[in-house]
Amino acid sequence: MGTKISKVECYLPERVINNKDIFLLNEINNKNSQIDSALLEKRIKKLEKSTGIKERHTASKNETALDLALTVGKKVLQNYDKDRIDFLILCTESPEYYLPHGSAILQDKLDFKKNIGAFDYNLGCSGFIYGLALAKSLIYTDIANNVLLITSDTYSKYINPKDKANRSIFGDAATATIIEKSEEEQIGEFVLGTDGSGYKNLIVPNGGLRNRYDSNAKEIDDGAGNVRTENNFYMNGPEVFNFTIKVVPKLFLNILKENKNNLEDLDYVIFHQANKYINEYLRKKIDIPKEKYYLNLLHTGNTVSCTIPIAIKDSLDNKIIKKGDRILLAGFGVGYSWGGTIITI
Amino acid sequence: MMEKMKTEDFINELKKALEIEDEDQGITLETNLKELEEYDSLSVLSIIAMIDKNFSKQIPSSDFEKVTTVSSLMELISKEHFDQI
Repeated sequence: MGTKISKVECYLPERVINNKDIFLLNEINNKNSQIDSALLEKRIKKLEKSTGIKERHTASKNETALDLALTVGKKVLQNYDKDRIDFLILCTESPEYYLPHGSAILQDKLDFKKNIGAFDYNLGCSGFIYGLALAKSLIYTDIANNVLLITSDTYSKYINPKDKANRSIFGDAATATIIEKSEEEQIGEFVLGTDGSGYKNLIVPNGGLRNRYDSNAKEIDDGAGNVRTENNFYMNGPEVFNFTIKVVPKLFLNILKENKNNLEDLDYVIFHQANKYINEYLRKKIDIPKEKYYLNLLHTGNTVSCTIPIAIKDSLDNKIIKKGDRILLAGFGVGYSWGGTIITI
Repeated sequence: MMEKMKTEDFINELKKALEIEDEDQGITLETNLKELEEYDSLSVLSIIAMIDKNFSKQIPSSDFEKVTTVSSLMELISKEHFDQI
């Protein structure tokens, strides 16, 4: 007996923000500055070149991550007998409420039977990998047969409108993946890791129970024209980059080792899509051939726990990967947290 | 023992990292990096990547904030990696 991914669907909210919007929004916020169109063009070009992002989707004011999850859930259940689903897992860092858990609401709204397990977990860029590990364990222990794993996040709601650095990188999205029993094992061995010493480098400081939301929170300028408050998302970019270049090459080797594979045994490699600069640097550092390496953030940006399933779906749709291919997956980010495995399509 | 890097080569690597295309743009040990037109939040990532590639070293961001001139960056990487500063 084994487990496999049998279906993947994605949903991107309708509203699209392009690179020009990012700069113009910033200019509108900063009423004293004049827009120099030549300089603006130059900045737009540089932004796309370095981040690999042209546009990103963001949820509208009244659209939450649970709304996105519901839409993608309906999408994945088309042509699928939903009574077969006996476990629902929701990965999100944008919860609808402190309590109850969003997956309970999804059980009702997706009209699932009541004798199913459902819970949420809070993880970012490593979330999809952890979800696969959970789903595989649930099936192996006979707790479930068919697991629906939904990832959904709306970082745009945490990012300050004047924080153009983070606004340019992150996009909102939701994905749905069905994991089932299979004859042969198609989800390999997992490598998981955590280093909480970096927790302050990717954080929304206020709004939880440690520091409540502060409606008088002071604006903090990073010196490069990005403004936020402690109510907003914060990322220490250089420190997160340091973490990434230290951890990901080792993670990659450990995934190969755990699965008794070499780079040559892989047909394709899908990393969490952080931004083009970081992903390309990792590719060169690990020495992965370009043709075996997924790199596409052009229309989505960094969608946190959704980047890996979006990449799987995109690669399947464009026939970059096919049945029987062995794909190494790796996610890394907020926590810090990281993980990876090898799947067979 | 790692081979020492010439200051001139380091400055060239730095220019590449900062995407300074103008050959004549003078970068010296005294140049204040943060005052360069090309310097932005992505430059920090490029410099971190350049140091990782050449010296297998990661510079903590808190140390990076103190960097002003090219020579202060070289001191941070550690003098032993260069033939002179």
